[in-house]
Amino acid sequence: MKPVLEARQLSKRYPGGPGPALDSVTFSVDRGEFVGIMGASGSGKTTLLNVLSTIDRPTSGKILISGTDLGTLNDSDGAGFRKDRLGFIFQEYFLLDSLTIRENISVPLALKKIPARKISAAVQRLAERFGIAGQLDKYPAELSGGQRQRASAARAIIKRPDILFADEPTGALDSASSTGLLNVLSEANRELQTTILMVTHDAYAASFADRILIFRDGHIVSELFRTGDRQDFYRDIASETARLDGLRTQPRQHV
Amino acid sequence: MNTLTISLKNIRKNLSFYALYLFSAAFVITVFFAFLSFSMDDIIVEKISSDGRVESMCRTVSIFLMAFVIFYMTYSNRFFLRRRTEELGIYALLGYRRTSILALLCCENVFLCTGALLLGLFFGSCLHRGIVLAVTALLDLNVDPSGIPFFCPRAAAYTAGFLLVVILLLSASNASVLLRTSLIGLVRCRKKAEKKMKFHRLPAVAGLAMTGAGYLLALDILRGEDSIWITSGFYLTGMITLSLVVCGTVLFISAFLPFLLNRERKDEDRFYTPSRIILIPGFIYRIRSGARTLIMLSLLSAAALTVSSVMALSLYYPVAALSRITPSEIEFRVTEEDEISEARSLVMQYTSDPGETSFLETDIYTVSSGSPGEYLPAEYSLGTTDAASKSSGNLRDPGFKCISVSSHRALLKAQGREKAAEQVPALKDNECILIKYEPNRDGSSEAGRTYSLQVGSEEIAVTVKETSMENSVSFANSVGTLIVSDDLFREIDNSALPCRRILSVNGNGVRDNEQLYSALNHFLEGSPYLQGHSHRQRELLSVNSSTFLLIGFLVVLFFIASGSILYFNNLTAVSDNKNDYRILWKMGYSRKRIRRIIRRQVLVFFAIPFLFGLLDCIFASLVYKNALMQNLLGNSLLLYLPVLLAVLMTGVIYLIYWLITVHACCRAVFTDSGTGRT
Repeated sequence: MKPVLEARQLSKRYPGGPGPALDSVTFSVDRGEFVGIMGASGSGKTTLLNVLSTIDRPTSGKILISGTDLGTLNDSDGAGFRKDRLGFIFQEYFLLDSLTIRENISVPLALKKIPARKISAAVQRLAERFGIAGQLDKYPAELSGGQRQRASAARAIIKRPDILFADEPTGALDSASSTGLLNVLSEANRELQTTILMVTHDAYAASFADRILIFRDGHIVSELFRTGDRQDFYRDIASETARLDGLRTQPRQHV
Repeated sequence: MNTLTISLKNIRKNLSFYALYLFSAAFVITVFFAFLSFSMDDIIVEKISSDGRVESMCRTVSIFLMAFVIFYMTYSNRFFLRRRTEELGIYALLGYRRTSILALLCCENVFLCTGALLLGLFFGSCLHRGIVLAVTALLDLNVDPSGIPFFCPRAAAYTAGFLLVVILLLSASNASVLLRTSLIGLVRCRKKAEKKMKFHRLPAVAGLAMTGAGYLLALDILRGEDSIWITSGFYLTGMITLSLVVCGTVLFISAFLPFLLNRERKDEDRFYTPSRIILIPGFIYRIRSGARTLIMLSLLSAAALTVSSVMALSLYYPVAALSRITPSEIEFRVTEEDEISEARSLVMQYTSDPGETSFLETDIYTVSSGSPGEYLPAEYSLGTTDAASKSSGNLRDPGFKCISVSSHRALLKAQGREKAAEQVPALKDNECILIKYEPNRDGSSEAGRTYSLQVGSEEIAVTVKETSMENSVSFANSVGTLIVSDDLFREIDNSALPCRRILSVNGNGVRDNEQLYSALNHFLEGSPYLQGHSHRQRELLSVNSSTFLLIGFLVVLFFIASGSILYFNNLTAVSDNKNDYRILWKMGYSRKRIRRIIRRQVLVFFAIPFLFGLLDCIFASLVYKNALMQNLLGNSLLLYLPVLLAVLMTGVIYLIYWLITVHACCRAVFTDSGTGRT
């Protein structure tokens, strides 16, 4: 399968930083894949997500998304690229307080100048799939955290992005809401063929992915593939993270 | 670390944050101090006020100024307190008592107000000096500006005392906020969720209807004699109109606008565009808490614009009307023959170039008419029963004042009105031109009417060929003027009818010659029939400009205050929603589009007070002009020139503030690395 995302020798250094935030990272993500990025605080997960999503620029290296080299995009092209190709889910939901849930989910399509009739139908369909159809005319402040995050996911998925970036999407949710959201994401991945790249530090959340990249000190130190069911994968992730914890004091190894 | 050190460090560390507060406060104090210095300047005030009018106006204006300064400083202080609640919450979490936090705020206010006072005293002194020079030059006052001290210690002491009161008020306001807010409220109150807005049709429709009704009632003044303003009384109608417009404005902003935009929101085809989907809900979201500020600014804006326009109109109109009131540079009624030769010799004496001066003697005959009273024009009997004229002993006899067409043309030419002279038509013996005092209120014209003139034992019928506003003789000497043919005039001349002779003096040498006017006035023993164009103009400027200047202080201060309030209000809203712009950017909104959204968001909040101010000012000026002012110049649009200028100046000030606000808001959003600047 042709990769939707290719990262080649990505490095990122911040001025005055102790070392590279990303250090020669290379990997690819196939279309329709659900990839989890794990790692401790400061391991480079969020920096990776920022450079992959055009929010930040790498110091060196190359990123291709659906064949487009992100290094060639200026500010305006970057905005256009995010509008057409990328979707985001954040830990803090980041819904617009002044807009109803229906309007929040509609914004990406309005930005793409899709006709209003089509927007309404698409919002209704997706809201039903995500279990928030009854909340469409409410404001974010009137919803629970789980409902807000599902609305946020619907907003990211509605435009059928080439790739969906999720930054700790379950970080602010209770366990029931987390499971609800992860099921919704898995379903979108399976049924709508949405490619997902999810940053998380939670092994339970990561177990919903097909593949896990574990980061330490700015580079990938381990890669896990899901071969059996989710519970088995969860155990694999837990044991691998425990093993990596034990190696913290030892010199790192590139994968 | 004690409170004093923390507050000093705070100011040093956040200098750019405090600079705005410091400079805007300094700006307000500059205007306040300049005004006080001016009103306490005995030399100037004595020169421009003979009857204590300026002194009493100064007292009134100073009350308004103080109210403005307190209002503005309280608003700015609340703005900064709100921006700092999170930081103050951290102090509270660290164990600082509320009294210590209050002392910290108080110290900061003292430092900032002292800085603003020092700046204000310096720039206020400069402004005062500028005003003194301008007033001296404008009114041609016999004052040596170097004799007036640059710095007025009495005004400085008064300003400092007043500022101390302001600081105490601000501290009381801060104390009330701090005591009412819980610890968690302090930490989290910077961005409170707005309550959900409810849309009620009734107040929305009432807002639109009341505003519309107020404006329609104002327009009714144009119906003339049949207008409600005339039939029901000016003050009653004025109060009803004012109440309708004020209540209408309140409901229009708080209910109609959100209602209208909510309907727009439901129209999906129009609503789902990249900008509207953000702008419309954003406005509705903000209007709930921002409506009060917007209403207040709209009403203040309307009041300031109306006051400045009406003032400009009051100053400009009499000066513009001088071309009709005193068309000749100097004109007087000759009662004795030797007055003419004496006047000539005075002109020779006081004029550098007497050869350029024209002297025209004009005979004006008073002719009665046998036509029925209701058929005659209003000018025929104008001033014959007027109470004011009666008390001053200037009651005139009814009748037409007849002048020959050639004298009329000669006068117009001497007054430099060549075009008007050329346009005077040739008259047959049975034709005349009626000079109107002001146009008929109902728009009718006497052209075509035939009047019978009692000339000796004969009744001569003359038909009005046209009516004209181009009088060549002042109204002091001729009202109800009929321009007749030279032949008819000769016939009248031979009929031993009452006649008055006037002498009109024109030319560059007599223009703006106050010494000549004084000499003539002395010679004619203060005759009410002596009219001087330049003298009257100077008199009008002297009487009105001090009033205009004082009102000007108020208007300028208002604009500073309202512009700064709009600036703070918008900057807070945009800064509080920084995250929203970050989300939009991540969703694919370009910086250009975000900037456009910010520009429009801010524009709405600037446009509402401006447009309301503009509409209220236009209708109020219309009522003022038609109901309270004479209509000597007809309905020329040129009369509204000062209104237009006042509106333009306001527009320019708002535009500058809008640009500054947009720039500051964009900077607040884009300096964050989360919105594209890396």
